[in-house]
Amino acid sequence: MAGLELLSDQGYRLDGRKATELRKLQARMGVFTQADGSAYLEQGNTKALAVVYGPHEMRGSRSRTLHDRAVINCQYSMATFSTAERKRRPHGDRKSTEMSLHLKQTFEAAVMTQLYPRSQIDIYVKILQSDGGNYSVCVNAATLAVIDAGIPMRDYVCACTVGFVDETPLADLCYAEENGGVSSLALALLPRGGQIALLQMDARLHQDHLETLIEAAMTACKGVSKVLDEVVRQHLQEASVLTGE
Amino acid sequence: MSPMKLCVPGDKLCSAEDCIPGTGVYLRHGYIYSSLAGYVLRKNEGEELPVISVVRETETQLLPDVGAIVTCKVTSINPRFAKVHILYVGSTPLKDRFRGTIRKEDVRATEKDKVETYKSFRPGDIVLAKVISLGDVQSNYLLTTAENELGVVVAHSEAGAQMVPISWCEMQCPLTHSKEFRKVARVQPEYLQA
Repeated sequence: MAGLELLSDQGYRLDGRKATELRKLQARMGVFTQADGSAYLEQGNTKALAVVYGPHEMRGSRSRTLHDRAVINCQYSMATFSTAERKRRPHGDRKSTEMSLHLKQTFEAAVMTQLYPRSQIDIYVKILQSDGGNYSVCVNAATLAVIDAGIPMRDYVCACTVGFVDETPLADLCYAEENGGVSSLALALLPRGGQIALLQMDARLHQDHLETLIEAAMTACKGVSKVLDEVVRQHLQEASVLTGE
Repeated sequence: MSPMKLCVPGDKLCSAEDCIPGTGVYLRHGYIYSSLAGYVLRKNEGEELPVISVVRETETQLLPDVGAIVTCKVTSINPRFAKVHILYVGSTPLKDRFRGTIRKEDVRATEKDKVETYKSFRPGDIVLAKVISLGDVQSNYLLTTAENELGVVVAHSEAGAQMVPISWCEMQCPLTHSKEFRKVARVQPEYLQA
Protein backbone atom coordinates (compact mmCIF):
# COMPACT_ATOMS: atom_id res chain seq x y z
CA MET A 1 0.00 0.00 0.00
CA ALA A 2 1.69 3.22 -1.10
CA GLY A 3 2.63 5.60 1.65
CA LEU A 4 1.63 3.34 4.55
CA GLU A 5 4.62 1.78 6.20
CA LEU A 6 3.57 -0.90 8.62
CA LEU A 7 7.04 -1.19 10.08
CA SER A 8 9.48 1.68 9.70
CA ASP A 9 13.23 1.24 9.42
CA GLN A 10 13.67 2.27 13.05
CA GLY A 11 11.27 -0.48 14.04
CA TYR A 12 8.19 1.63 14.80
CA ARG A 13 4.69 0.73 13.70
CA LEU A 14 1.86 3.00 12.57
CA ASP A 15 0.80 3.86 16.08
CA GLY A 16 4.35 4.24 17.39
CA ARG A 17 4.64 0.82 19.01
CA LYS A 18 7.54 -1.53 18.64
CA ALA A 19 7.07 -4.87 16.94
CA THR A 20 6.44 -6.92 20.09
CA GLU A 21 4.61 -4.25 22.05
CA LEU A 22 0.98 -4.82 23.06
CA ARG A 23 -1.67 -2.12 23.13
CA LYS A 24 -2.76 -0.64 26.43
CA LEU A 25 -5.09 -3.09 28.17
CA GLN A 26 -7.67 -1.88 30.63
CA ALA A 27 -10.44 -4.01 32.06
CA ARG A 28 -13.16 -4.03 34.70
CA MET A 29 -15.07 -6.98 36.09
CA GLY A 30 -18.57 -7.11 37.49
CA VAL A 31 -19.93 -4.19 35.49
CA PHE A 32 -23.50 -5.58 35.48
CA THR A 33 -25.24 -6.86 38.58
CA GLN A 34 -28.10 -8.55 36.72
CA ALA A 35 -25.91 -11.03 34.89
CA ASP A 36 -24.04 -13.84 36.63
CA GLY A 37 -20.74 -12.51 35.34
CA SER A 38 -19.68 -9.55 33.24
CA ALA A 39 -16.54 -7.72 32.14
CA TYR A 40 -15.56 -4.74 30.05
CA LEU A 41 -12.21 -4.76 28.31
CA GLU A 42 -10.34 -2.23 26.19
CA GLN A 43 -7.29 -3.12 24.18
CA GLY A 44 -6.06 0.05 22.54
CA ASN A 45 -9.10 1.37 20.72
CA THR A 46 -10.96 -1.93 20.56
CA LYS A 47 -13.63 -2.10 23.25
CA ALA A 48 -15.65 -5.19 24.13
CA LEU A 49 -18.29 -6.08 26.66
CA ALA A 50 -18.79 -9.70 27.74
CA VAL A 51 -21.69 -11.09 29.76
CA VAL A 52 -22.10 -14.61 31.13
CA TYR A 53 -25.28 -16.31 32.29
CA GLY A 54 -25.34 -19.70 33.88
CA PRO A 55 -25.07 -22.51 34.42
CA HIS A 56 -28.83 -22.88 34.08
CA GLU A 57 -31.30 -25.31 32.63
CA MET A 58 -31.10 -25.88 28.91
CA ARG A 59 -33.33 -23.45 27.03
CA GLY A 60 -34.47 -23.63 23.48
CA SER A 61 -33.96 -27.03 21.89
CA ARG A 62 -33.88 -29.60 24.69
CA SER A 63 -32.46 -32.19 22.34
CA ARG A 64 -29.08 -30.48 22.47
CA THR A 65 -28.55 -31.29 26.17
CA LEU A 66 -25.43 -33.29 26.88
CA HIS A 67 -25.85 -35.84 29.63
CA ASP A 68 -22.33 -35.52 31.00
CA ARG A 69 -21.40 -31.86 30.55
CA ALA A 70 -22.69 -28.35 30.05
CA VAL A 71 -23.36 -26.82 26.65
CA ILE A 72 -21.60 -23.51 26.05
CA ASN A 73 -23.61 -21.12 23.95
CA CYS A 74 -21.67 -18.14 22.59
CA GLN A 75 -22.95 -15.17 20.71
CA TYR A 76 -20.68 -12.58 19.15
CA SER A 77 -22.10 -9.33 17.82
CA MET A 78 -20.84 -5.90 16.89
CA ALA A 79 -22.59 -2.68 17.72
CA THR A 80 -23.77 -0.78 14.66
CA PHE A 81 -21.60 2.15 15.70
CA SER A 82 -18.47 0.07 16.22
CA THR A 83 -16.95 0.47 12.78
CA ALA A 84 -16.03 3.45 10.64
CA GLU A 85 -19.19 3.06 8.58
CA ARG A 86 -22.43 2.18 10.34
CA LYS A 87 -22.88 -1.56 10.26
CA ARG A 88 -26.01 -2.60 8.46
CA ARG A 89 -26.35 -6.10 9.88
CA PRO A 90 -24.88 -6.60 13.36
CA HIS A 91 -26.15 -10.14 13.97
CA GLY A 92 -26.45 -13.25 11.92
CA ASP A 93 -23.92 -12.51 9.24
CA ARG A 94 -21.31 -15.07 8.31
CA LYS A 95 -18.46 -13.47 10.22
CA SER A 96 -20.44 -13.20 13.47
CA THR A 97 -21.53 -16.82 13.24
CA GLU A 98 -17.98 -17.94 12.60
CA MET A 99 -16.66 -15.88 15.51
CA SER A 100 -19.36 -17.29 17.79
CA LEU A 101 -18.32 -20.79 16.83
CA HIS A 102 -14.64 -20.02 17.50
CA LEU A 103 -15.47 -18.57 20.89
CA LYS A 104 -17.49 -21.66 21.73
CA GLN A 105 -14.62 -23.96 20.80
CA THR A 106 -12.17 -21.86 22.79
CA PHE A 107 -14.21 -21.89 25.96
CA GLU A 108 -15.14 -25.53 25.72
CA ALA A 109 -11.43 -26.22 26.08
CA ALA A 110 -11.01 -24.12 29.21
CA VAL A 111 -14.27 -24.27 31.18
CA MET A 112 -14.75 -27.38 33.30
CA THR A 113 -18.07 -28.30 31.75
CA GLN A 114 -18.17 -31.81 33.18
CA LEU A 115 -19.13 -30.33 36.57
CA TYR A 116 -22.49 -29.14 35.19
CA PRO A 117 -24.21 -31.93 33.28
CA ARG A 118 -27.40 -31.18 31.39
CA SER A 119 -27.12 -27.42 31.74
CA GLN A 120 -26.17 -24.45 29.61
CA ILE A 121 -23.69 -21.61 29.99
CA ASP A 122 -24.32 -18.51 27.85
CA ILE A 123 -21.50 -16.17 26.86
CA TYR A 124 -22.48 -13.02 25.01
CA VAL A 125 -19.84 -10.64 23.70
CA LYS A 126 -20.46 -7.32 22.04
CA ILE A 127 -17.84 -5.19 20.34
CA LEU A 128 -18.49 -1.54 21.10
CA GLN A 129 -15.60 -0.18 19.10
CA SER A 130 -13.66 -2.20 16.57
CA ASP A 131 -10.02 -1.41 15.87
CA GLY A 132 -8.50 -4.76 15.03
CA GLY A 133 -8.00 -7.97 17.00
CA ASN A 134 -11.74 -8.43 17.56
CA TYR A 135 -11.51 -12.13 18.30
CA SER A 136 -8.67 -11.70 20.81
CA VAL A 137 -10.37 -8.89 22.68
CA CYS A 138 -13.57 -10.96 22.85
CA VAL A 139 -11.75 -13.96 24.29
CA ASN A 140 -9.99 -11.83 26.92
CA ALA A 141 -13.21 -10.08 27.92
CA ALA A 142 -15.11 -13.37 28.06
CA THR A 143 -12.41 -14.94 30.27
CA LEU A 144 -12.85 -12.18 32.83
CA ALA A 145 -16.63 -12.51 32.65
CA VAL A 146 -16.50 -16.28 33.21
CA ILE A 147 -14.18 -15.78 36.21
CA ASP A 148 -16.57 -13.13 37.53
CA ALA A 149 -19.47 -15.59 37.22
CA GLY A 150 -17.60 -18.11 39.37
CA ILE A 151 -17.62 -20.84 36.72
CA PRO A 152 -14.58 -23.08 37.24
CA MET A 153 -11.92 -22.90 34.54
CA ARG A 154 -8.66 -24.76 34.11
CA ASP A 155 -6.72 -21.58 33.49
CA TYR A 156 -7.15 -18.13 31.98
CA VAL A 157 -7.71 -18.00 28.23
CA CYS A 158 -5.64 -15.23 26.70
CA ALA A 159 -5.70 -14.39 23.03
CA CYS A 160 -3.69 -12.22 20.72
CA THR A 161 -3.58 -11.50 17.02
CA VAL A 162 -0.14 -11.41 15.46
CA GLY A 163 1.02 -10.61 11.95
CA PHE A 164 4.11 -11.04 9.85
CA VAL A 165 5.71 -8.10 8.06
CA ASP A 166 9.26 -7.82 6.69
CA GLU A 167 10.43 -11.01 8.40
CA THR A 168 9.26 -9.59 11.75
CA PRO A 169 6.29 -10.76 13.76
CA LEU A 170 4.05 -7.91 14.96
CA ALA A 171 2.08 -8.50 18.14
CA ASP A 172 -1.48 -7.23 18.71
CA LEU A 173 -2.53 -5.90 15.33
CA CYS A 174 -4.72 -2.88 14.91
CA TYR A 175 -7.28 -2.38 12.13
CA ALA A 176 -4.95 -0.59 9.72
CA GLU A 177 -2.38 -3.36 10.04
CA GLU A 178 -4.93 -6.14 9.64
CA ASN A 179 -6.22 -4.63 6.43
CA GLY A 180 -2.80 -3.61 5.20
CA GLY A 181 -2.06 -6.99 3.73
CA VAL A 182 -0.44 -8.53 6.79
CA SER A 183 -0.72 -12.30 7.26
CA SER A 184 -2.52 -12.36 10.59
CA LEU A 185 -2.85 -15.26 12.98
CA ALA A 186 -5.09 -15.34 16.04
CA LEU A 187 -4.06 -17.55 18.93
CA ALA A 188 -5.92 -18.37 22.14
CA LEU A 189 -3.67 -19.79 24.83
CA LEU A 190 -3.98 -21.26 28.32
CA PRO A 191 -0.84 -19.49 29.58
CA ARG A 192 0.25 -21.59 32.51
CA GLY A 193 0.36 -24.88 30.72
CA GLY A 194 1.23 -23.35 27.36
CA GLN A 195 -1.71 -25.15 25.78
CA ILE A 196 -3.24 -23.71 22.64
CA ALA A 197 -7.04 -23.53 22.77
CA LEU A 198 -7.55 -22.16 19.28
CA LEU A 199 -5.35 -21.11 16.41
CA GLN A 200 -6.90 -19.37 13.47
CA MET A 201 -5.37 -18.04 10.30
CA ASP A 202 -6.71 -17.45 6.84
CA ALA A 203 -3.89 -15.68 5.08
CA ARG A 204 -0.90 -16.89 3.16
CA LEU A 205 2.31 -17.53 5.06
CA HIS A 206 5.44 -19.48 4.23
CA GLN A 207 5.74 -22.51 6.49
CA ASP A 208 9.23 -21.50 7.62
CA HIS A 209 7.79 -18.45 9.31
CA LEU A 210 4.99 -20.31 11.11
CA GLU A 211 7.18 -21.39 14.03
CA THR A 212 8.39 -17.85 14.79
CA LEU A 213 4.89 -16.45 14.42
CA ILE A 214 3.39 -18.92 16.87
CA GLU A 215 6.22 -18.25 19.32
CA ALA A 216 5.58 -14.52 19.10
CA ALA A 217 1.87 -15.10 19.61
CA MET A 218 2.49 -17.22 22.70
CA THR A 219 4.76 -14.57 24.21
CA ALA A 220 2.17 -11.88 23.53
CA CYS A 221 -0.57 -14.02 25.12
CA LYS A 222 1.53 -14.52 28.23
CA GLY A 223 1.92 -10.74 28.42
CA VAL A 224 -1.86 -10.37 28.20
CA SER A 225 -2.33 -12.98 30.93
CA LYS A 226 -0.18 -10.94 33.32
CA VAL A 227 -2.43 -7.92 32.87
CA LEU A 228 -5.61 -9.97 33.24
CA ASP A 229 -4.19 -11.57 36.38
CA GLU A 230 -3.66 -8.09 37.88
CA VAL A 231 -7.23 -7.13 37.08
CA VAL A 232 -8.67 -10.28 38.68
CA ARG A 233 -6.60 -9.98 41.84
CA GLN A 234 -7.52 -6.32 42.23
CA HIS A 235 -11.19 -7.13 41.78
CA LEU A 236 -10.94 -9.83 44.45
CA GLN A 237 -9.24 -7.40 46.84
CA GLU A 238 -11.94 -4.80 46.29
CA ALA A 239 -14.70 -7.35 46.77
CA SER A 240 -13.15 -8.62 49.99
CA VAL A 241 -12.83 -5.09 51.36
CA LEU A 242 -16.55 -4.52 50.73
CA THR A 243 -17.60 -7.74 52.46
CA GLY A 244 -15.31 -6.90 55.35
CA GLU A 245 -13.07 -9.93 55.28
CA MET B 1 -8.77 -15.36 61.21
CA SER B 2 -5.41 -15.35 59.50
CA PRO B 3 -5.49 -13.57 56.12
CA MET B 4 -6.54 -16.06 53.48
CA LYS B 5 -4.61 -16.38 50.28
CA LEU B 6 -6.11 -15.09 47.04
CA CYS B 7 -5.94 -17.33 44.04
CA VAL B 8 -6.98 -17.25 40.40
CA PRO B 9 -7.83 -20.03 37.95
CA GLY B 10 -4.72 -21.97 37.02
CA ASP B 11 -2.75 -21.24 40.21
CA LYS B 12 -0.81 -24.23 41.46
CA LEU B 13 -1.85 -24.66 45.09
CA CYS B 14 0.02 -27.70 46.32
CA SER B 15 0.99 -31.24 45.50
CA ALA B 16 -1.57 -34.04 45.61
CA GLU B 17 0.44 -35.69 48.36
CA ASP B 18 -0.05 -32.78 50.77
CA CYS B 19 -3.79 -32.26 50.49
CA ILE B 20 -7.00 -33.82 49.24
CA PRO B 21 -8.77 -31.78 46.53
CA GLY B 22 -12.11 -30.24 47.57
CA THR B 23 -14.40 -27.92 45.61
CA GLY B 24 -13.12 -25.23 43.25
CA VAL B 25 -9.90 -27.10 42.48
CA TYR B 26 -8.76 -29.73 40.03
CA LEU B 27 -6.03 -32.33 39.85
CA ARG B 28 -3.50 -32.48 37.07
CA HIS B 29 -0.22 -34.39 36.84
CA GLY B 30 -0.11 -34.91 40.60
CA TYR B 31 -0.62 -31.25 41.51
CA ILE B 32 -3.70 -29.41 42.72
CA TYR B 33 -4.64 -26.28 40.77
CA SER B 34 -7.32 -23.71 41.47
CA SER B 35 -10.25 -23.42 39.07
CA LEU B 36 -11.96 -20.39 40.63
CA ALA B 37 -10.94 -16.85 41.58
CA GLY B 38 -11.30 -16.70 45.34
CA TYR B 39 -9.72 -17.66 48.65
CA VAL B 40 -7.86 -20.83 49.46
CA LEU B 41 -9.33 -22.75 52.38
CA ARG B 42 -7.50 -25.58 54.08
CA LYS B 43 -9.59 -27.68 56.43
CA ASN B 44 -8.46 -30.52 58.62
CA GLU B 45 -11.19 -33.12 58.42
CA GLY B 46 -9.63 -35.40 61.00
CA GLU B 47 -8.07 -37.73 58.45
CA GLU B 48 -4.38 -37.60 57.71
CA LEU B 49 -4.53 -35.04 54.90
CA PRO B 50 -6.27 -31.63 55.00
CA VAL B 51 -8.90 -30.83 52.38
CA ILE B 52 -8.05 -27.86 50.18
CA SER B 53 -10.78 -25.89 48.41
CA VAL B 54 -11.34 -22.48 46.88
CA VAL B 55 -14.32 -20.41 47.97
CA ARG B 56 -15.88 -17.21 46.67
CA GLU B 57 -17.91 -14.64 48.62
CA THR B 58 -20.92 -15.07 46.38
CA GLU B 59 -22.05 -18.66 46.05
CA THR B 60 -21.95 -20.03 42.56
CA GLN B 61 -25.02 -21.55 41.01
CA LEU B 62 -25.74 -24.90 42.55
CA LEU B 63 -27.12 -27.70 40.43
CA PRO B 64 -29.40 -30.38 41.83
CA ASP B 65 -27.33 -33.49 42.31
CA VAL B 66 -28.42 -37.11 42.76
CA GLY B 67 -29.46 -37.66 46.36
CA ALA B 68 -30.03 -33.99 47.16
CA ILE B 69 -33.20 -32.90 48.92
CA VAL B 70 -34.92 -30.22 46.87
CA THR B 71 -37.90 -27.96 47.42
CA CYS B 72 -40.16 -27.69 44.41
CA LYS B 73 -43.50 -26.35 43.30
CA VAL B 74 -45.97 -28.53 41.43
CA THR B 75 -46.89 -27.05 38.06
CA SER B 76 -49.08 -29.71 36.50
CA ILE B 77 -50.39 -33.17 37.26
CA ASN B 78 -51.24 -36.09 35.07
CA PRO B 79 -52.41 -39.63 35.92
CA ARG B 80 -48.87 -40.87 35.30
CA PHE B 81 -46.65 -38.15 36.80
CA ALA B 82 -46.48 -34.67 38.25
CA LYS B 83 -44.34 -31.94 36.78
CA VAL B 84 -42.56 -29.58 39.16
CA HIS B 85 -40.25 -26.58 39.15
CA ILE B 86 -37.25 -27.03 41.42
CA LEU B 87 -36.81 -23.85 43.47
CA TYR B 88 -34.31 -24.67 46.26
CA VAL B 89 -31.54 -27.20 46.52
CA GLY B 90 -31.14 -27.92 50.23
CA SER B 91 -31.41 -24.45 51.67
CA THR B 92 -29.85 -22.58 48.73
CA PRO B 93 -32.32 -20.81 46.43
CA LEU B 94 -31.70 -21.30 42.74
CA LYS B 95 -31.49 -18.24 40.53
CA ASP B 96 -33.22 -20.08 37.75
CA ARG B 97 -35.84 -22.81 37.93
CA PHE B 98 -35.04 -26.34 36.89
CA ARG B 99 -37.78 -28.68 35.79
CA GLY B 100 -38.43 -32.02 37.47
CA THR B 101 -40.83 -34.93 37.25
CA ILE B 102 -42.30 -37.07 40.02
CA ARG B 103 -43.55 -40.30 38.53
CA LYS B 104 -46.61 -42.08 39.89
CA GLU B 105 -44.54 -44.99 41.18
CA ASP B 106 -42.14 -42.68 43.03
CA VAL B 107 -44.77 -40.89 45.11
CA ARG B 108 -45.00 -43.51 47.85
CA ALA B 109 -42.88 -46.38 49.06
CA THR B 110 -45.81 -48.76 49.60
CA GLU B 111 -48.78 -49.66 47.33
CA LYS B 112 -47.15 -47.95 44.40
CA ASP B 113 -49.72 -49.15 41.86
CA LYS B 114 -52.67 -47.78 43.83
CA VAL B 115 -51.35 -44.21 43.85
CA GLU B 116 -53.52 -41.50 42.34
CA THR B 117 -51.55 -38.32 41.61
CA TYR B 118 -54.74 -36.28 42.05
CA LYS B 119 -54.88 -37.45 45.64
CA SER B 120 -51.18 -36.87 46.26
CA PHE B 121 -50.39 -33.47 44.76
CA ARG B 122 -52.20 -30.52 43.27
CA PRO B 123 -50.77 -27.69 41.17
CA GLY B 124 -49.33 -24.97 43.40
CA ASP B 125 -48.24 -27.29 46.23
CA ILE B 126 -44.77 -26.93 47.67
CA VAL B 127 -43.15 -30.35 47.88
CA LEU B 128 -39.96 -31.67 49.45
CA ALA B 129 -38.44 -34.33 47.21
CA LYS B 130 -35.20 -36.15 46.60
CA VAL B 131 -33.39 -36.31 43.26
CA ILE B 132 -33.02 -39.89 42.06
CA SER B 133 -31.70 -39.27 38.59
CA LEU B 134 -30.59 -36.49 36.28
CA GLY B 135 -32.78 -38.03 33.61
CA ASP B 136 -31.88 -38.92 30.06
CA VAL B 137 -31.79 -36.67 27.02
CA GLN B 138 -35.50 -36.04 26.76
CA SER B 139 -36.65 -36.00 30.34
CA ASN B 140 -36.14 -33.67 33.28
CA TYR B 141 -34.74 -34.40 36.71
CA LEU B 142 -36.49 -37.42 38.24
CA LEU B 143 -37.59 -36.90 41.83
CA THR B 144 -39.09 -39.10 44.48
CA THR B 145 -41.23 -38.48 47.56
CA ALA B 146 -41.20 -42.10 48.69
CA GLU B 147 -40.05 -41.38 52.23
CA ASN B 148 -41.80 -40.23 55.38
CA GLU B 149 -40.04 -36.88 55.48
CA LEU B 150 -40.73 -36.11 51.84
CA GLY B 151 -43.96 -34.90 50.29
CA VAL B 152 -46.24 -31.88 50.44
CA VAL B 153 -45.25 -29.24 53.00
CA VAL B 154 -47.40 -26.29 51.98
CA ALA B 155 -50.72 -26.61 50.18
CA HIS B 156 -53.68 -24.37 49.68
CA SER B 157 -57.24 -25.66 49.86
CA GLU B 158 -59.86 -25.03 47.23
CA ALA B 159 -61.14 -22.21 49.43
CA GLY B 160 -57.71 -20.57 49.24
CA ALA B 161 -56.50 -21.02 52.79
CA GLN B 162 -53.26 -22.73 53.78
CA MET B 163 -54.08 -26.24 54.98
CA VAL B 164 -52.95 -28.00 58.12
CA PRO B 165 -51.67 -31.60 57.91
CA ILE B 166 -53.67 -34.10 59.92
CA SER B 167 -52.18 -37.39 58.77
CA TRP B 168 -49.73 -38.69 56.21
CA CYS B 169 -52.42 -38.63 53.53
CA GLU B 170 -54.80 -35.85 54.50
CA MET B 171 -54.75 -32.11 55.08
CA GLN B 172 -57.55 -29.98 56.47
CA CYS B 173 -58.56 -26.45 55.56
CA PRO B 174 -58.89 -24.22 58.66
CA LEU B 175 -61.70 -22.16 57.16
CA THR B 176 -64.06 -24.74 55.69
CA HIS B 177 -62.84 -27.75 57.73
CA SER B 178 -62.92 -29.85 54.60
CA LYS B 179 -60.28 -32.54 54.24
CA GLU B 180 -58.24 -33.00 51.12
CA PHE B 181 -55.95 -35.82 50.11
CA ARG B 182 -52.24 -35.14 49.76
CA LYS B 183 -49.06 -37.13 50.29
CA VAL B 184 -47.95 -35.16 53.34
CA ALA B 185 -44.36 -34.87 54.56
CA ARG B 186 -43.81 -35.75 58.18
CA VAL B 187 -42.89 -32.59 60.03
CA GLN B 188 -39.49 -32.77 61.69
CA PRO B 189 -39.83 -32.59 65.49
CA GLU B 190 -37.60 -29.49 65.71
CA TYR B 191 -39.96 -27.52 63.50
CA LEU B 192 -43.06 -28.21 65.56
CA GLN B 193 -44.04 -25.24 67.67
CA ALA B 194 -44.56 -26.10 71.28
